[in-house]
Amino acid sequence: MLPNWRIDVVTQMGNYQNMRAINQKANGVNLKLLNAAIRFNALMLGLTAGTLAAVIVYVATHASIARWGSDSGTYLALLAIFFPGYSVTSNGAWVGAFWAFVYAGTCSALSYRLYGRVLGTRIADILLSTVPTENPVLKPSVLRLHGSSLGFAIGSIAALGLFSSTAWLVVRGTADESVHAALFSNYIPGYSVSILGGLWGAMELFALVFLACLLLATVYNRIVEKRHKKS
Amino acid sequence: MNRPVRDHEILSAVFAKMDVPAMSIAAGVVGSVLLFLATATLLLQAVPQDYPVGSHLKDLAAYLPGYHVSWPGAVLGAFYGFLMGAVAGFAAAVYWNLTHYVALGVMLISAAELAD
Repeated sequence: MLPNWRIDVVTQMGNYQNMRAINQKANGVNLKLLNAAIRFNALMLGLTAGTLAAVIVYVATHASIARWGSDSGTYLALLAIFFPGYSVTSNGAWVGAFWAFVYAGTCSALSYRLYGRVLGTRIADILLSTVPTENPVLKPSVLRLHGSSLGFAIGSIAALGLFSSTAWLVVRGTADESVHAALFSNYIPGYSVSILGGLWGAMELFALVFLACLLLATVYNRIVEKRHKKS
Repeated sequence: MNRPVRDHEILSAVFAKMDVPAMSIAAGVVGSVLLFLATATLLLQAVPQDYPVGSHLKDLAAYLPGYHVSWPGAVLGAFYGFLMGAVAGFAAAVYWNLTHYVALGVMLISAAELAD
């Protein structure tokens, strides 16, 4: 049994030219195809980011054990607050990889869903060329990034993440002991491990991530345009 | 001004590949700026004389040889930030393209099954 998103994409891929006439909406956009496209890429990004995060946590745990032995994990062990069952041990590395996959995968998939929704019918803006190719699937174009949509999407998820983790520290009653989380105030003036501080920090983090995404998209798009100028 | 989006543009956007060198450099630049600013922010804060500045950030030296919370350290940190960002960007772009190729292969097989 194929999941719905795959049936959508497969159906649309198989005969998209015929479907075009059927699925056109009043504003001239095939919303069914657009939504299937967003769901598909959200899943792809979730798998990509989840796997990378899992590998990073696994490798970092083992690197820590290899370097510091039984004294390892001064900072890494703090992950156990958010990763139940995690410890800086060989078995803990697997647990950490699992949670990293879950968190990073979910956050990335949500980010892409938001990115896709914000981008919406401006999706053609992220293509280097909007000239029809012989086969857009087998001969893919080069991706460009839409800075402000990317900033809004990743910024929102990062802000939500900071607020949720701060709230979790408050709810579990360890806010006063969370000296490492409090260090965020060095970079996010006004942040504190409290609900109000978390809200304020979330807003400031949103702005910082938004700017970082604008920088990423600008540099990336410039290089893409230079590299593919002739083609 | 919004114009209608054609189906081939949506499909192109779904399967568009990420430019690996561009993403590596862009992520490297972001990593570089972030680590430089992280260090510089601590250095620019007004603190009492002999106050240990960046007592936690300096622990990065365990992973980044030679790094310390000082202006020369900030420059070295920017270099390391670029390297780490570039590696992350490279891995993300390669893996993004790879998952699309794999998914495409799976879907082509599924499409053939649906056609039967």
